[in-house]
Amino acid sequence: MSKPPDANDSRMVSARLLIDLVNNHLDPGYAAAAARRGKDARSRWYDRPAVIAGCLLIGFILVVAYVHTHRSAPQAAKVHDSLVSRVRAAQHVADQLGNRVTDLEKQLSNAQRQALPQSAQLAKDLTLAQLQAGQAAVTGPGMVVTLRDPPTPSASPTGGRGGTTPIGATNILTDRDVRSVVNELWRDGSEAVAVNDIRLTPTSAIRFAGLAVLVDFQPITSPYRIKAIGNADELSTNFAQSAVASRYQTLQGVNHIGFSFTDAQDITLPAGATVGLRYAKVLNRSGGHR
Amino acid sequence: MIAGLALVAGIVLGLILRPTVPTWLEPYLPIAVVAALDAVFGGLRARLDGIFDAKVFVVSFISNVTVAALIVFLGDKLGVGSQLSTAVVVVLGIRIFGNAAAIRRHLFRA
Repeated sequence: MSKPPDANDSRMVSARLLIDLVNNHLDPGYAAAAARRGKDARSRWYDRPAVIAGCLLIGFILVVAYVHTHRSAPQAAKVHDSLVSRVRAAQHVADQLGNRVTDLEKQLSNAQRQALPQSAQLAKDLTLAQLQAGQAAVTGPGMVVTLRDPPTPSASPTGGRGGTTPIGATNILTDRDVRSVVNELWRDGSEAVAVNDIRLTPTSAIRFAGLAVLVDFQPITSPYRIKAIGNADELSTNFAQSAVASRYQTLQGVNHIGFSFTDAQDITLPAGATVGLRYAKVLNRSGGHR
Repeated sequence: MIAGLALVAGIVLGLILRPTVPTWLEPYLPIAVVAALDAVFGGLRARLDGIFDAKVFVVSFISNVTVAALIVFLGDKLGVGSQLSTAVVVVLGIRIFGNAAAIRRHLFRA
């Protein structure tokens, strides 16, 4: 400090308060009592019991606070920890299984390529069928539609409790919205569609559970990016004219959702989950061609 | 010496009795803990400065806890309880830090 503030300046009262707070930590009462007693400090009869009682009380308060905090914490923390670890373990297993699926599919396609003669009709049919069933990664021009939930309103300044924002105010977009956009894109002539990089197959389901939109049982969250491959000009023209687009443009103005669509020249969509037929059986194995 | 023994006795007493804290007292517990720590460090520093006074120690501790609890209680009634308890913790925390630094200077001369 270059220039110490004048303690007697009346304008410095509030500043002095802060300086006192930072510099003088000791209760002034100690110094005052010492000055009052003077040099010949005789111990009074209540000195020792007072110190004992005070320290007893302080120790008691400290341990009560400790016990109290740790009594209620463990159950909630234990449940939370065990849930978290179970979710982590399940995610780990799911990741491993997903990697295994990818590996096996790679082996399968290699085996198929070796078994089928290239450029034969059968190989072409297979490729086309895989493309239509969403079993092969594809690339091409198309368009991207983005739906975004409105931003969470900030906490009210009037000391409101957290978490009292109604769910309806933040989760306006549901499975229905994603589904209607996807259906509109199919109608406009898409050849392949993916939602948040989850490829849609003929058996894909877009559903709603809790607060998450599920695509093929994989939860996704806002923003929802729906990519479609097709004739980019045709797609964007058809989509812009559709009732779905105008509905979300209205919602954008009223409920402040985010809604935008652009055409893109180069979109790559991953392969979708394997479709296992559980009930349908091939009728005639020899008649491969339709 | 005797103060340390009493502190340990209080801790043991609390561990043995394990009293349940009534719900209405719960918000004041952290404030009481910080005020208690402030009293301990203040008392220790006064002792090292050679100006310790038992009466000042006990009275300042009890009045600190009472005033802090009163401020928080008033804040709860006005709807700014959490902000005021933050203020109390900040003020007492600065004092604890300062006193701990003074004790450190006394003990280690550093």
